[in-house]
Amino acid sequence: MNTIFRLKIALQTMKDHGKTTLILALLFMAMAAMYAGMFPSFETMLLDMTDAAFIESFPFLPHIDQMHTYVGFLTLELYNIFWLLLLAIMVGFIAASSIAKEIEGKTIDLLLSNPVSRKQIVIEKFVGLIPMVIIVNFSTMVVVMGITVALNESLNYANLVVVHLISVLYFLAVISIGVLLSAIIDDKMKASIVMIAILVGMFVMNSVSLMTADYEALGFLSFLHYFDTFTVLQFGEVDGVGLVVFIGVTVVCLIVAMFYFEKRDIEIT
Amino acid sequence: MLTMDVACPKCKFTISIQGNPGERIELTCPECKIHGFFKFPPESSTQQTDDVIVVKNLTKYYGKIKGIEDLTFTIKKGEIFGFLGPNGAGKTTTIRTLLGYLSPTKGDAYILGKNIADNMVDIKRKLGYIPGDLNLYGHLTGRQFLNYFESLRNTQLPLLAELLQVFDVPLDRKIKGYSRGMKQKLGIIQAFMDDPEIVIMDEPTSGLDPLLQQKFYDFLRHQKKKGRTIFFSSHVLSEVDKICDRIGIIRNGSLVALEDVDTLKQKMGKLIRVKIKEKPETFTGPKTMKRTDDWIEFVTNDDIDYWIKQLSHYTILDLEIHEFSLEDIFIHYYEGQT
Repeated sequence: MNTIFRLKIALQTMKDHGKTTLILALLFMAMAAMYAGMFPSFETMLLDMTDAAFIESFPFLPHIDQMHTYVGFLTLELYNIFWLLLLAIMVGFIAASSIAKEIEGKTIDLLLSNPVSRKQIVIEKFVGLIPMVIIVNFSTMVVVMGITVALNESLNYANLVVVHLISVLYFLAVISIGVLLSAIIDDKMKASIVMIAILVGMFVMNSVSLMTADYEALGFLSFLHYFDTFTVLQFGEVDGVGLVVFIGVTVVCLIVAMFYFEKRDIEIT
Repeated sequence: MLTMDVACPKCKFTISIQGNPGERIELTCPECKIHGFFKFPPESSTQQTDDVIVVKNLTKYYGKIKGIEDLTFTIKKGEIFGFLGPNGAGKTTTIRTLLGYLSPTKGDAYILGKNIADNMVDIKRKLGYIPGDLNLYGHLTGRQFLNYFESLRNTQLPLLAELLQVFDVPLDRKIKGYSRGMKQKLGIIQAFMDDPEIVIMDEPTSGLDPLLQQKFYDFLRHQKKKGRTIFFSSHVLSEVDKICDRIGIIRNGSLVALEDVDTLKQKMGKLIRVKIKEKPETFTGPKTMKRTDDWIEFVTNDDIDYWIKQLSHYTILDLEIHEFSLEDIFIHYYEGQT
């Protein structure tokens, strides 16, 4: 048991993704700075634009009626697409190749020749990706805070922190799905594509559920349904069910991944 | 009488003591003067079984495709065991099933007395492995790779310095820039660096030049002398002939021979080649006799004396008597059976 708590595979995973983490952090910091900084120049235009017809033509965008406010603009431009979809795809892609690339690249034979268990590999690959999520998450948050102060816009900073805390849980759930796929599918490209399909599928399902009341139930299958960045940012309302969903998905995916990976044959061709 | 090194629980000063199994003696640490008792381990726990690898009816099917079937063999401590067979015979499947990468369809195996089904992590503390299709982490340098594996082994590496001297690799270069031979050397280093009880290798000398192969064989013989066990697969017969004590020959997933190299050779008999001044047709040898050019060739088991006496009636121009090489044996097992 003591070998698990030494987390050496996790540490190596973290080191392996050092550069990626830095690039992702810089990318999202730049993106946050750009969108937050852009708001003043768009504000009056958006005020004119946001009439009833405009709102009706974009029913799939959550809180489109709030686009002319700073919080609404941030949510729509930054958090909804770039944060919850694009970053999730990038993080998910990395997670989905975590174990698969060791099998595809045949390094798994050497890794497992050490006194490490297969369950341990699953857990440590997951743990090793946590720092990336935390670093990208909070560096972006600091930039949003800084720009907001510089622009003298009104934003509840406590709510902003809460958004980024929930984001950590959201991304951990995404990573756990990726690790599960990675434990099942040997081909890292295939695993990553399935991961992206799941994330895009969730995004589409959420959009469809917002558009037509008939398909509202579809939204329950999407992570985005449980994490409305606007209500958290504006009103500080946290969806308790969402937290349970994210934590539940993470725990279930990891347990399934551990047991599946423990039992499966590792064939190298 | 047992001799043991005992470390003082307080100051870690080590003293050497002697006693009988099960005996309890009183000790005083010469360093910190702490007083205590030491009990020698009872006889039973100091006895160890000689078989470090025991394989019983091990079978692996990939769906309906046979990998290996009903393999049964044991490997003794301090033995170099050669596992022979052509490509696709099941060598790699055997090794990867033994090491837990594949779960056996039937049968079981024990390594160092532990069942492979539920003690794999413990077993791997005392086992090294060189995969046949060796692939290392290309993005790491040799040094980073060895450091990573050192941290995973979490133990002393008594052989690392020696190995680095014998198998010199560019430690500060990224592994993706390594040649095949360099990678193989790094594979050897990582397998042996913590001086494990058993090392299992899947065609370990592929990619090594003859000089390095020689160094590697010397190293293996040295390990054997220390009581370490080596299990390796190969299709290079000359190397198996040079260093193995015992061989198993696998054909089409099943073991067709399991024998001491010397016994096997003895069983096969000796090959006699003779050239006589008289016409070769005038000599009647055993049924298996062959005449090629001027040479008469035949195999004899334990009646060399008889044949030499028969030959003494002729004028002998040239005479050769030699053992079968492993290659001849190998071909013998495969001939007509494929």
